[in-house]
Amino acid sequence: MSALLEVEDLRVAFDTPAGVVEAVRGLSFTLGRERLGIVGESGSGKTMTGRAILRLVQPPGRVSARRLAFDGQELLTLPERRLRALRGRRLAMVMQDPKYSLNPVMSVGRQLTEGLRRRERLSRAEARRRALAMLEAVQIRDPERVYRAFPHELSGGMGQRVMIAMMLIPEPDLLIADEPTSALDVTVEAEVLKILDGLVRERGLGLIFISHDLPLVSRFCDRVLVMYAGRVVEELKAAELERARHPYTRGLLRCLPRVGGPRGDLATLTRDPAWAEQGAE
Amino acid sequence: MDGTGKGGAMIEIAGLEVVFASRGDRVRAVDGIELAVAEREAFGLVGESGSGKSTVLRALCGLAPVSGGRATIAGLPPPRRRDPAFARRVQMVFQDPFSSLHPRHTIDRTLAEPLVIHRLGDRRERDRQVEAALTDVGLDPGFRFRYPHQLSGGQRQRVAVARALMLEPQVLLLDEPTSALDASVQAEVLNLLSRLRRERGLTFLMVSHDFAVIDHMCDRVAVMQGGRIVETLDHAALARRQVREDYTRRLLEASSAHAPLALQEEGGA
Repeated sequence: MSALLEVEDLRVAFDTPAGVVEAVRGLSFTLGRERLGIVGESGSGKTMTGRAILRLVQPPGRVSARRLAFDGQELLTLPERRLRALRGRRLAMVMQDPKYSLNPVMSVGRQLTEGLRRRERLSRAEARRRALAMLEAVQIRDPERVYRAFPHELSGGMGQRVMIAMMLIPEPDLLIADEPTSALDVTVEAEVLKILDGLVRERGLGLIFISHDLPLVSRFCDRVLVMYAGRVVEELKAAELERARHPYTRGLLRCLPRVGGPRGDLATLTRDPAWAEQGAE
Repeated sequence: MDGTGKGGAMIEIAGLEVVFASRGDRVRAVDGIELAVAEREAFGLVGESGSGKSTVLRALCGLAPVSGGRATIAGLPPPRRRDPAFARRVQMVFQDPFSSLHPRHTIDRTLAEPLVIHRLGDRRERDRQVEAALTDVGLDPGFRFRYPHQLSGGQRQRVAVARALMLEPQVLLLDEPTSALDASVQAEVLNLLSRLRRERGLTFLMVSHDFAVIDHMCDRVAVMQGGRIVETLDHAALARRQVREDYTRRLLEASSAHAPLALQEEGGA
């Protein structure tokens, strides 16, 4: 498996009046054309990891790594212009809420074709054809209507499909999806995940799925990294989640209620300060 | 004090309709629902966004217009404006602890305010009650003079629960009380709510999009879609998946993607 992304000792630090706060503390992994889940609770550093890979961390945040390479190219030292070209074309990110990621005053069609027309200098008609095809690929039933619509005229699930379509039009090699379905209803979520899964399989892209939801991620991904306090505390094959060893991973699964489950108190998690100190072996 | 309507139900809803009108459009958010919640029962409304579940709660406490039918709690209709008698019986806990607490009031002021408004106790008595309330929701009394921004999401939601209980109401209306929280914090807050219900004999009407959470907390659950109740199920029926309606089945099926997996015991191969 050729490595699409190599991450070695990734760190994200913020200088605050109270001192340096490290959001990500020495993360390492390699990603092939597979589906990798990064799971953790709020403050675990999972979102910062995704942003750091795309070099989207704003000052006062600082990103450092021994190696952060996409397809062999070192991202941290790449000139901004070349990075921007990579980001548009080969690296893409889908965020949680389409309401905040789409331009509210631009029609969906214009947002979908803007990049194509600028980067690939396609004619208006050709760009439109490609955009409509992609809207169909994310299973939008009436692509012509959605193409003409403005974001506020779309439901959450529709908006998220548009976001995914937009990210996939340039046919990226790596897609980072940060809680792509958390703002959606469960029945819509199932459809969006199915679409994402189909696209990942057909187009053979690498996917990093960032989420707080360990059961969901383990059903969707090949491999899962569990993050706690900026470190990976456990790495698992998704199919072997039930063999999780780390008390944090086990605690995350135990504290969840289930339909028809026993009454009585839910298990709670007692956080051991040692978890923050040692990462996975 | 009995305070329940006839038939012993604490919350009674009959033919409730809520219609919002804007610029000529009429949206029927709640379209004729019936339900009765007994005293000390925990009743859940589960559904997807736009199903009308939150609007039912809001109509019960006067935050949404009752366009048709009836909705009463302890025999009281939804208050038109602030109604001290209603506030003493019924309190609400909202989803987002980041926006439901006043950002520039200390926790002390947030918790003491209902007592001040209702002219209960002198300052010394109020101090004692604020400390007791914090302890009761598992917070150190040292939190009294902090501000909401100095608290985590879970701590804030504990404060919101403590605030709702200051007037010792009989009924809590809970609107997605844990959906903004991490799973491990959710477990703590759900445990807290269950304990308080047991200890104080509270009646709960709880709304959530999360089938597992609502089933864990409630004796009976009504599934809502498009402003209507699709069907009502109790815990035993849900455990055996004895479901009548396709919509409920679809919702359960989709929810199962979030269900926890059984862990292998440590030491087991």
